[in-house]
Amino acid sequence: MKIVMKFGGTSLTDGEGIKRVVEITKTSLLKEIKIVIIVSAMASITDSLFEVISRAELGDLEYIKDFIGKLATIHHNAVKVTVNDKEILEKAMSEINALVKELERILFSVSYLREATPRSRDYILSFGEKLSTAIVCAAFQNQKFEAYWFTGGEAGIITDDNFGDAKPLMNITTQQVKEKINPLVEEAQIPIITGYIARTQDNVTTTLGRGGSDYSATIIARALDFDEVWLWKDTDGIMTADPKIEPMATTIPIISYSEAIEMAYFGAKVIHPKALEPVFEQQIKVRIKNIFNPNGLDTIIEKHPWTNTDKIVKSIVMIRDVAMVTVSGTEMIGMPGIAAKVFGILGDNKINILMISQSSSEANISFIVPRGDLNNIVNVVESALLGSVVKNIYSESDICVVAVVGVGMKGIPGVAAKVFKAVADEGINVRMIAQGSSELNISFVVGEENDVRTVRALHKEFQMDKFNRSVSLI
Amino acid sequence: MKIIIIGYGTVGQALTKILYEKEKQLFNKYGLRSNIVAVVDRGGAIISKTRLKYSTLMKAKASGTVASDPNFGKPGLKALQVIEEEAADVVIELTPTNIIDGEPGMSNIKSALTNKKNVITTNKGPLVLALITLIELARHNGVHLRFSGAVGGGLPVLNFAKKSLIGDRIISIKGILNGTTNYILTRMAEAHISLETALKEAQLAGYAEADPSYDLNGVDTACKLAIMSNWILDKNVKLKDINVSGILDVTLSNIKKIEKKGQTIKLVGSIDDEKIVVKPQTLSKNNPICVDGVLNAVAFNMESAGEITLVGGGAGGVVTSSAILRDLIEIRRYTNS
Ligand SMILES: NC(=O)c1ccc[n+]([C@@H]2O[C@H](COP(=O)([O-])OP(=O)(O)OC[C@H]3O[C@@H](n4cnc5c(N)ncnc54)[C@H](OP(=O)(O)O)[C@@H]3O)[C@@H](O)[C@H]2O)c1
Repeated sequence: MKIVMKFGGTSLTDGEGIKRVVEITKTSLLKEIKIVIIVSAMASITDSLFEVISRAELGDLEYIKDFIGKLATIHHNAVKVTVNDKEILEKAMSEINALVKELERILFSVSYLREATPRSRDYILSFGEKLSTAIVCAAFQNQKFEAYWFTGGEAGIITDDNFGDAKPLMNITTQQVKEKINPLVEEAQIPIITGYIARTQDNVTTTLGRGGSDYSATIIARALDFDEVWLWKDTDGIMTADPKIEPMATTIPIISYSEAIEMAYFGAKVIHPKALEPVFEQQIKVRIKNIFNPNGLDTIIEKHPWTNTDKIVKSIVMIRDVAMVTVSGTEMIGMPGIAAKVFGILGDNKINILMISQSSSEANISFIVPRGDLNNIVNVVESALLGSVVKNIYSESDICVVAVVGVGMKGIPGVAAKVFKAVADEGINVRMIAQGSSELNISFVVGEENDVRTVRALHKEFQMDKFNRSVSLI
Repeated sequence: MKIIIIGYGTVGQALTKILYEKEKQLFNKYGLRSNIVAVVDRGGAIISKTRLKYSTLMKAKASGTVASDPNFGKPGLKALQVIEEEAADVVIELTPTNIIDGEPGMSNIKSALTNKKNVITTNKGPLVLALITLIELARHNGVHLRFSGAVGGGLPVLNFAKKSLIGDRIISIKGILNGTTNYILTRMAEAHISLETALKEAQLAGYAEADPSYDLNGVDTACKLAIMSNWILDKNVKLKDINVSGILDVTLSNIKKIEKKGQTIKLVGSIDDEKIVVKPQTLSKNNPICVDGVLNAVAFNMESAGEITLVGGGAGGVVTSSAILRDLIEIRRYTNS
């Protein structure tokens, strides 16, 4: 058995967190499982790097100095807690100091130029992972493991030069990762690799964008042909609903890649869809596990989930912070291409549309957009369309979207009726229903005041608190 | 088009000769003007910002290395440095095949692609080890990677299969892909001489390399099958997936025993849905792939079109150069230099 384990920032709050990472890995190593470890930056470090970049662009030298001091302290403390072997500690401390110094130098140069290029931005962001990975590696060495750490680029992940959201060149990556990392795996050594960062063919540092560390984990698993990817987070796998909204929410034992992608699309903080790309084809299983409850329930993401569970609906996802824009005009009826025109304009302005609906009379088109962009969107649509065939544009921002996700709904009649009956029975008014989206979800809009009630009504209707766990889960 | 040639042995020298001899024709017909700006061998490089004359190259090479030229020679200069630093449209990589790590060809090709230079090669090592990787690298950098001469020498096997057979399905491929062993087996059969004697003859005639082991043990044929599977059939075949046996166990008496039945032994490479195999096989002399001497033959068994066989000169500097020339002209069509 070969597993890529990825530890997210929430696992790495401090030295204690890093100790936990070592303990958890040890359990698997004792079972002769071969492991490659991917490490994110310590909790909130990446955010603070984004912040210091913007301060550097303002030329705020004091902020940089202060930041660097704090950054060094956080990492020094973490390594002191985890490492007691004098030699290893010294080496780790000097690694941290060298990294911090280099980072300071770059930040100063950004502050002189008052500009961070996408390239230097990615380079700066890479320090979060480099620091945490150096410490995790020292923590393993401290426990007498033969561990080595690499940046994603050193490990062989080669990307295009789309800084900030780089994409791997998967064939080159596969070849290089195999060459570099496989020998260590074969020798039962532990390769520890920075998540999130990679490099171009010319050795320039890139980052993989949002969800980047999960992406690193699946890229490495695919390149090395591993059996599973374990993503250690701070919840018991993926839940049937947000437990803050529905206390009865429970862990979904198994979902398919496409369900996970669907849920992520509707805003569930499960896994970034792109992170599933590398493992999808090879059918490498992905497990979401809880670092604080390693023996608790987890979720497996794999290819054919429905054979293992009797649930039609797997999850109820709610998106807040959205708004609905409706464009109407009687002349729109029978007018070909009007919808295309509306969406063309939105697309040209890089506006992300979550849902679309056109009334059957064709007299109006509604769409759901992020609430923060609402004013801008209304302006764009008004200036482009108002007056001709479009007579009216109005928006509502007191709404939320609820999506019911589950591959089992495919081809099973009456699921939608069940959904809307459950909502109607609560006296909740559905304001819009999405059309023509995939068969994996039913999504609709309700008033914001009804958000919690809607989720709970559906959770109850589909008995989602009772999952069939007849399958044995590790 | 500015060209860098890495490796100036049999193929490299034949290529420069052809480019020189056909200069006018190539320009009039295809608008191809090949300016060789650098040539590298183990002794170093010869570099000129404008163009190197064929006579200059030949004269320099006659004293061992192209780097010996008094005006343009750069003794000790390495291929990688030339690829990185000299402006050129195409790098033609013709160093010896190495199937362990593909070097030096692997690094040369990667570096050329990364530096956004088109690449033509006949070197099987890098192609066998990393074809899909190199294709990805070429695409990423917006340049072309061509290797018509790597399989079948002058026989347009790869392009024929990839382009001319579209719409039909290839059920299997079978062929004689190594000129050296085919020459040896042919001579054993017609002159009734031993394998050792035939090999010596082949070396004298310049058909076999000083170290002919890749030919004799079937590895050269296996390399070609791997490239064909991966390029033509979009497979991901590694050398270790191929069942290889060479001709070293073929004896004169084996051949004599079957010759009366109108049969002979040939080193055959075959690809079908299940497996890829290189081994000496008994063939009827009437079989279209049963060709003699240094000829190569490849038969495609097609779902609709039936069997289609290509026969022709498979190896040698001049025929292989003709394949490189095809690649050059194709690249010329895409670029404007
Ligand atoms: N010959 C054929 O019929 C044929 C057909 C198809 C494909 N191929 C392939 O084409 C390639 C070339 O074949 P060939 O017959 O021309 O081989 P060759 O006569 O042995 O020539 C090889 C050339 O590469 C040079 N070289 C070796 N190592 C080098 C290095 N590190 N840096 C720079 N140059 C280096 C050699 O330099 P020196 O001159 O200094 O030794 C020589 O000029 C081989 O990969 C072969 O498999 C050959």
